Amino acid sequence: MRDRILAAFFLATVVAVIESPAQTAPTGLFPAYTAPRTADGKPNLNGIWQSLTTANWDIQAHGAQPGPHPEIMGAWGAAPGGQSIVEGGEVPYRPEALAGKKENFENRMKVKVTNDPHRYDTGEPELQCYRPGVPRANYMPFPFQIFQNPSEILIVYEFKGAVRTIYMDPHREPPTDSWMGWSNGHWEGDTLVVDVTSFNDHTWFDRAGNYHSDELHVVERYTPISPYHIMYEATIEDPKVFTRPWKVRFPLYRRVEDNVQLVEFNCVPFVEELMYDPVGLYRPPSK
Amino acid sequence: MRNRILMSWTAITLAVILSWSPVSMAQAPSRAGTVEQTAVDPEAAIKAAEAAAKAEDTASAKNWTPPRTAWGDPDVQGYWLTATYTPLQRPAALAGKAFYTEEEAFEAFKKAVEVDASVNPSTVHYDWKEYAMDGWQSPVRPNRRTSLIVDPEDGKLPPLTPEAQKRQAAARVAAQARNPQVGVQTLGNLYTRCVTGNNGGPMLRGGNPGSDSGAAGVTAEVQLVQIPGYALIVAQSNDDARIIPLDGRPHLPSNVRNYLGDSRGRWDGNTLVVETTNFTVPGTNFNGGSAATKLTERFTRIGPNTLRYEFTFDDPATWTRPWTAETILPRVDPPLYEFACHEQNYGLMNVVKGAQTREAEAATKKD
Repeated sequence: MRDRILAAFFLATVVAVIESPAQTAPTGLFPAYTAPRTADGKPNLNGIWQSLTTANWDIQAHGAQPGPHPEIMGAWGAAPGGQSIVEGGEVPYRPEALAGKKENFENRMKVKVTNDPHRYDTGEPELQCYRPGVPRANYMPFPFQIFQNPSEILIVYEFKGAVRTIYMDPHREPPTDSWMGWSNGHWEGDTLVVDVTSFNDHTWFDRAGNYHSDELHVVERYTPISPYHIMYEATIEDPKVFTRPWKVRFPLYRRVEDNVQLVEFNCVPFVEELMYDPVGLYRPPSK
Repeated sequence: MRNRILMSWTAITLAVILSWSPVSMAQAPSRAGTVEQTAVDPEAAIKAAEAAAKAEDTASAKNWTPPRTAWGDPDVQGYWLTATYTPLQRPAALAGKAFYTEEEAFEAFKKAVEVDASVNPSTVHYDWKEYAMDGWQSPVRPNRRTSLIVDPEDGKLPPLTPEAQKRQAAARVAAQARNPQVGVQTLGNLYTRCVTGNNGGPMLRGGNPGSDSGAAGVTAEVQLVQIPGYALIVAQSNDDARIIPLDGRPHLPSNVRNYLGDSRGRWDGNTLVVETTNFTVPGTNFNGGSAATKLTERFTRIGPNTLRYEFTFDDPATWTRPWTAETILPRVDPPLYEFACHEQNYGLMNVVKGAQTREAEAATKKD
């Protein structure tokens, strides 16, 4: 009897997988899924979400490694190993652009705070509590919350309290380059497709120094695949730095703890000593 | 004027430059040639503000019913402007008078704008009539109230508790006896350090925080967003985002402190009531209040283009009784822009460097 029930379950799953349209079952692991709807009939993406990758350390495959200051940080500063979120494994750098990544990595802890507009040439932006950009904001080890309306979808990220607005209707023109870029979105079936442009060249993809120029163009796809998962995919294009468009892909997990909420991570006060002490501008009241 | 100097300390971000215009936001800011007359001419701005106030009074009077969301909650969403020329406390000359007549309100508004728009070239290093540098260039409106404070009835802050008097006196002494090697944390405040913006917490005045000069502020836009179970307030200033669960859950434990506090909301008729506690340290809009503050805000649509905003400070460590202020927030056009303040905070560095130089010079003279 138990066998039969199991078999029936199995059959149902197989049928569901076979019948599922490609757009709603991108992994093959999930049965066909139709997301609950918002009042205007669109898939409801509202919720608190978080990725579970190690891509913030390195979007490509990487082994565990000690942090930059093991003498004081020990295991706290170490990086976990992880698999690549990049489709095909490797970021297709132009030959001349690859050196930039290496240079970034070597200078990742260098903070150069001056009035020099080139000060962003050094130092990992996350280290200095700068806005993380897109898609990085979606794979940082912090949750974020989606607020979905027919005209605009807002995302509030716990890291730094960064905010972005996805203009659905009407789309809006970007006024100038920015850290989080400018997002216009539309629905393709159950997938939210977001076109992100007008980035500045100051953000990095990770702590490993993967980077882009101000010609970065990101197209994101958010597809709900279960009540608790969104499959996230971003196509990254930047002819100055990469030989071709490339993709990252990973699931977002719904945070389901009782009364779960974002807890403020306002890191500005955490970086003032790091940034301003070397230039003689940091003297806390007690120092 | 003090406002202006304060503002020059801060990172003047692109958001400041771009963030408002009455009608013209639909036009790309890059097309600067199409800037509205109300953004460059104070008299045109005064006339437009009076017309907007009259039109809204008429529209609100015609059996206007507040809208509801698709899921049945009162709808307070939109982009709203917190700038005002109404002083926090009632001026002595207006003692006993809580309301102006319409004519008096327009006259007071006109005077305040003219003072705000006047420039003393010897003390100012920007051209303050440049677009988006002054509050009058925004859709700020006259207000019939003579003070923002409505309770106590005299329109004044209640007396300080003895504890608060001691605390504030100590703070003044500390400021005077500042370490000559001033640093970003001793000279800067939360606003100039880009920790919080000028609407993070009580959305007061919308101006440059800490100022009581009567000038309306800039970067005073806030966006209210609702989804089932949540409200969200995003302030243009510093992109401060406050997430407000509406499901009756308890506050975070009291050891968890946030710069923007921890907000919980509920509906009282057509009014969104938001209670915020768990503040880290008193922000620049706290008028000397303490981290023990319980802030209660009430948002009510009272016309097609007007949101009434009330807030009550309950801070027994500072005032002998709670006090309440009320203002009107005119609707403004979308969108908001990225306010990357900390990412390019040259202003703070320059001011601290300048202060260090001044204090070193003063020390040399003493020797």
